Formats: sequence, structure tokens, C-alpha cells
Amino acid sequence: MNKSRRLFSQGQRQALFIGAGAFFTGLLLLAMISIVLLIAARGGGYFWPQDVHRVSFLSSVDDQPKTVFAQIQSEYMQDGQKMRWLQLSDAQSPYGRQILLESNRTLSLARAPEAARVALKDGRVVLAEPVSVESPESTSIAVARIDAVRENVAQIDARITAIRDDALSQIHLQLTELDQRKVSKNAPARKKLNKAFDRWHSQVLELERQRDSYRLNLQLAQGDDISIPLMDVYSLEHTGQLTAVGKLGVALNRVGRFLTESPKQANTAGGVFPALFGTVLMVFLMTIIVTPFGVLAAVYLNEYAPDNAMTSIIRICVSNMAGVPSIVYGVFGLGFFIYGVGGSLDQLFFEQSLPAPTMGTPGVFWAALTMAILTLPVVIVATEEGLRNVPQGLKAGSYALGATKAETVWHTILPMASPGIMTGVILAIARAAGEVAPLMLVGAVKFAPNLPVDAEFPYLHLERQFMHLGVLIYDGAFHSQTDAKSASMMFAACLLLLVVVFILNILAILLRARLRRRYERR
Amino acid sequence: MLKLFDHEHLDLDNLSDDLTAIRVEDLSLQFGNKHVLENISMRIPKHRVTALIGQSGCGKSTLISSFNRMNDLNPQCRYQGQIYIGDRDINNKKQNVSELRTQVGMVFQRPNPFPMSIYENVCYGLKLQGIKVRRQLDDAVERALKDAALWKEVKDRLFESASVLSGGQQQRLVIARALALKPDILLLDEPTSALDPLTTLFIEELIAELKHRCTIIIVTHNMQQAARVSDYTAFLHQGRLIEYSDSDTLFTTPEQKQTEDYITGRYG
Ligand SMILES: Nc1ncnc2c1ncn2[C@@H]1O[C@H](COP(=O)(O)OP(=O)(O)OP(=O)(O)O)[C@@H](O)[C@H]1O
Ligand SMILES: [Mg+2]
Repeated sequence: MNKSRRLFSQGQRQALFIGAGAFFTGLLLLAMISIVLLIAARGGGYFWPQDVHRVSFLSSVDDQPKTVFAQIQSEYMQDGQKMRWLQLSDAQSPYGRQILLESNRTLSLARAPEAARVALKDGRVVLAEPVSVESPESTSIAVARIDAVRENVAQIDARITAIRDDALSQIHLQLTELDQRKVSKNAPARKKLNKAFDRWHSQVLELERQRDSYRLNLQLAQGDDISIPLMDVYSLEHTGQLTAVGKLGVALNRVGRFLTESPKQANTAGGVFPALFGTVLMVFLMTIIVTPFGVLAAVYLNEYAPDNAMTSIIRICVSNMAGVPSIVYGVFGLGFFIYGVGGSLDQLFFEQSLPAPTMGTPGVFWAALTMAILTLPVVIVATEEGLRNVPQGLKAGSYALGATKAETVWHTILPMASPGIMTGVILAIARAAGEVAPLMLVGAVKFAPNLPVDAEFPYLHLERQFMHLGVLIYDGAFHSQTDAKSASMMFAACLLLLVVVFILNILAILLRARLRRRYERR
Repeated sequence: MLKLFDHEHLDLDNLSDDLTAIRVEDLSLQFGNKHVLENISMRIPKHRVTALIGQSGCGKSTLISSFNRMNDLNPQCRYQGQIYIGDRDINNKKQNVSELRTQVGMVFQRPNPFPMSIYENVCYGLKLQGIKVRRQLDDAVERALKDAALWKEVKDRLFESASVLSGGQQQRLVIARALALKPDILLLDEPTSALDPLTTLFIEELIAELKHRCTIIIVTHNMQQAARVSDYTAFLHQGRLIEYSDSDTLFTTPEQKQTEDYITGRYG
């Protein structure tokens, strides 16, 4: 018989099938877990404070021994040698540089609890031993009291800013006004203003002198002294002296700063707040745009459109649109929305400021609109699915109570389809938050000087360019070849992007579960 | 007026207009090119229960649905002839369908409460009519639920989801939902076929009660039920009205051979 000659019996085939299924599911799970673990480890590692070491080695330039303070960025084995990427501070470059050190050049390497990591406000880092804090009265203060002194400095700085913003800019305005009225150079009003200006100005200078004479004195590993204005110091971490709990505190503090501050040093240091904000704002705007349009289109297709060839063709087009490469949407957004629509708006409403474009330039609104077009098919398809699942009997029940078609759609069909709609929105959010390529064409930039939202009327500036986590990661990936540190910043941004997408999804899924409980028949 | 409620049999062929709820004149109906109803003429008396019986697929649901133009939902459906309710031909293109459906309520085979609270279910039609005053709605809900004999069971949980009710309760809720609009005519399409015998009995009692309020037309596959609840019965076969008379006569001494075959269970 044919059957008996088969390679495996029925039971064996089944076992094989289940085994293969389990194997591939396991493989998939493993791949997913390792991606998440890698990103979590590398991204999380960016925040964990590393010990400062005192490293002695033979310089590769002149074969002379050299001692530096350094942090180990990463280490690996190559040709039987231990290779270490070091971030170090020495007399030539106190603000840090990176070297690759082989173990056969290393003379000694030991933890240096006396050394601290001093981060400057511009993102640079000095590894050195704090010696003293210097005050304007040239007295030196113990390093332990640095926080109190920094408080002082901050107060002085606040006073300088206050004078600049109030008194000085007032006088400036008045002087400009006098200029416009062509008041003569020797007019008494002008003299009085000039005098007031000089008085305030000298006060500012004095305060600035005071502020800048608070300095932090540091000593490098070979005994070289450096002195940094306390004003420029951003943080001082004595990581070598911290317990695990202390380190955790520092790490959490860094996470907080990472989330709330702006990038520095060309996106290799500092925080990612503008990118986080830009990503969420763009996704939010996109959702607001795509949901009504997608739902309207799906309702039309499913409830109103006649059941003919034209409708089928539209349906096929919609499904195919989901497969169009995203960069094509980017080009479309650039060509149609920005140059086409934006350019026309400029000619109609903002003619006085041409040739400088007002609307005809990449910005967060165009980006959101482009992403809305990109995710529209997803929402339409999911909504149609939801609409199809509304039981015919319920629609009939609504019509039988005298409801018109529109009333039935609004009061019965849409609420019932809302879980389906939410599924579409979830998919749209996940897709939009992860896209990078099209965004770079229509408004996402590596660095934007202003957030799209601020205290200035009209508060939401939809025409502004914005920063995006995806773009930041893309940018970071190009720094990372030699710059081991920015790889970590990039991973931290990856981790954050994952978390953002995850949170947005969880919110949408919770909302959907609620709607399901309410509207789906059990 | 007194004559309206007495139980001597009316002469259906020569029923006067003021005793007629629905007058069907030569109604034919097609779905695409399938003829579903052919030349049906009948008068359905006011404040009586009229049953429609016949084999599956003979057009009972289609006929009952033409009384509130639910067949319009099917774009393939075409019909000729007139259906008069009062002195209006509801097949007239000028007929406001929404208004018609508030006057001619309908209950389907499967209970179909909306996925909302019990209260909202009963309010659905009223709210569509623009009634927003809370007191008015409260009163209407209470009255409708009492009329549907459901008030006692749900008065403490009006704002719970309707889907937690049992099948029989759901069906009464759907009846209450239709009654809230105070319809002149109530169409019931196999209202008990998804329910157990006891609940069925309960609904049948309700129907007997409701006929004082409105004219009832009921589709059923259950001969005993038709005999029990209806005053008049129409037998349909392949889209034609074969026999239409008072239920006693139809079930005991049918005139037509087809009717007899059907009610004695020789086919269908
Ligand atoms: N939407 C439709 N399109 C085409 N034909 C239909 C449609 N609905 C019903 N029909 C046809 O019309 C005929 C009558 O259907 P109808 O639903 O009125 O029967 P019925 O007497 O109610 O049957 P049952 O007792 O099974 O409910 C059937 O032959 C059916 O195939
Ligand atoms: Mg039927």
C-alpha cells in the first residue's frame, strides 16, 4: 500500500510538526528577547555610573610611560590581548579623548576612588581629583561644600539674568525709540538713559566677575592642575566612593536628565527631551488626523458605497497603499504637501515674507500629515474589519426603531466597531513612531533650536521643524564607529523609543479592552 | 368602539376601513429576479393578533418586513402594489420611512439588545426623536418596561448592561424598546423560536395582553402557538396567500388542501 511506504507514521508526522512549530516559536522568542536584552543592557548601561581608574601605560606616540584618569567604555579580546576603549583626561586634553589600549602596553590599572567625573554644562567631561573650591575672596572651601557654593553661583547668575532681561532691555528699547524719533545725541533724556545703562552694565560686569571667580580646582593623574569656573560645572560625581545604592541614585538622576534635557555636543551627550517631545507630538497629531479620515473612509466603503467594481478597485488600492515603501510617502509629502500645498498657502497668505517660506518648508504638521497618509490604509482596513463584525441584527434593530442610516452608523455601528478602530490606531501608532526615512524629508531634523510648543502665541507652532528619536538614533549610528560612548547614547535613545512605542501601545490596548468589554457580545 | 374588542369573528373580506389596521393591495415583491411575494391582498384587523404561517422560505419574513419597509435595506428588493395603513399608502416614495418605523414596531427572531444599558436600550428610539428631558424619558422607560412585563425584574439595575439579561428577558427588553415608541402596530418575527417553552408561554401571555394596546402580527413555525395566541391566521405558500381566516376555522376546518397538508405536518 501507498500509505505504509510513507516515511513517517501519522503520529510521528504530528510530533514532527509540533516539534518544528515549537522550535521556530522558540527561535522567534529568543531573537526577540535578545534584541530587547541587548538594547536594555546597552541603553541602560549608558546611565550606570562607571568607576574612574588610574591607568599607567606606555604611550603609543613616544613610548614614554604615562598616567591618566580614565573610564573604561568597553573591553574585548583580540589576538590574545585584552583591548580597552578608554575615555581619559590628561594634560594635553583635559576635557577628554578616547584611546584604544592594548594590554601589553598597560603598566597598571586600578580603581581611583579619589578621582571624580566632572561634567561640564556643554557636555564635556573631565576626570580628575577635586582639590578645592575657590571663592572671590580667594579663600578656598572644602570640596564637600560644593553644592552650597554652587547654589550661591546660581543665585548670582539669576541676578545677572534678571538685570539683563528687565533693566537693560528696557533701556535698550527706549534708546531705540529715541533713535527712531531722531532725538539728537546730546538730548538730556538720552544722556540720562545712557548713564543708567552704564550703571546697570557695570553692575552686571561686577557680578559676572564675582561669579566667574568661584572656581573648581582639579588635579589630573600626573599632578597637573586645572581650574574650571564653577559656573560651567554641571555635575560632580565621586563614583568610586559610591555604594551600589548611591550609584543607583546617580543612574536615576541621569535618567531624569536624559529625559528632560536637550542634547549637547552634536547629540552625543546630554538629554533627548526635544526628540522625545517631537516624537510624541508628531504621533499624537498623526493620530488626530488619521483617525477621523480613516474611519470616514471605512464607513463610506462599508456602509454607503454601492457594491460594484469601482468599490472593489478602491479597496484593492487601499490595501496596496499599505505596501508602498515609506520613503515614497516622504517624497510625496515633500513634493505635494510642502512645495505644493505649503507653497500655495505662502503665495496666498504670506506673500509679504516671500521668498522666505512660511508654510512651504518642512515642519511638524506636514510630517504628521505625511505619516497620516502613510498609516491611513492600516486604519481603513482595521476599521472595515470592525464594521463587518457588527451583527446585522443590531443594525436592523436600530433601523426598526426609526433610525436613519446616519443615526444607525453613529449610535450603533461606530460604537460596536470601536475596538476594531482602536486596533487600526494601535497599528498606525506603532508604525508612525518607528518611521525615520520619510520624516527626514518632511520636517524631522538632527537639531531644532525650538520646541514646536512654547509660551509664545499661538503656543503650538505647527510649521516648526522638530527632533525625533528615530532620527537621533540614525544620527547616532553614524557617530558610533569610533565613538563608543555615543553608541551608548544611541542605545539609550533606542531603549526610550521602545518604551515610548510600548507605552503608546499599552494605552491603546487598554482602551480597546475597555471598549471590547463594553461593546462586544460574549 | 365596543365592537372592536368583542370576539365574534370578523368578515375579513369585507372588513370596514375603520377596523382595518393594514390593507394590502396586490403586493408583489422580488429580490433581484427572484419572485418572493406574488399578488398578495389582505386586510389585517385592528387590535387583533394575526399569525403568519408557512413553510420556511415561503416569504413570511418578507411580507411582515414590508409593513415597515425593512425590505428597503436590501438594495436588490423591488415591489409593486400598495399597503395602506390608515389612509396612507406606505409604499409611496414620499413616505417618511423613519416615521413609519416608529409607528410600526418590529421584534426579530434573535433578541438583539444594543450593547448599552437597559435604560439606554429603551430610550434609543425616544432619543432619536429628540426627547431629552430626563423625567419624560424616565417615565417612558418605566411604562414600556411595565408593558413588556419586565419592570419588576430590572427596576434595580436599569443602568447595567443589557447583555447580562437572559434570552427571554432580552426579548422582552426588545419588545419594551419597541413599545416605548407607542406603535400602532407591532410586528413579531418568530419572537420565541430562540426561547425555552416556559419563557415562550410568558411571552405569549404578554402578546395577549398587548393586543389591547396595538395590532399584532406574528410569524411563527409553531402551530400550537399560532392557534393559542392568534385571532386570525394567514397561510402562505411559495409567496402566495393560500388561506386567510380566523384561527379556529383555519386550524380545524381548512378550506384548502395545501393548508391541511401543512398544518397536519404532511410537508414543511
Ligand atoms: N436578501 C435576500 N436576497 C435574496 N433573496 C432573499 C433575501 N432574503 C430572502 N430571500 C429569499 O426570499 C424568500 C423568502 O424569504 P423569507 O425570509 O421571507 O422566508 P421565511 O418565510 O421568513 O422563512 P423562514 O421561516 O425560514 O424564516 C426565500 O426564498 C429567500 O431565499
Ligand atoms: Mg423568516
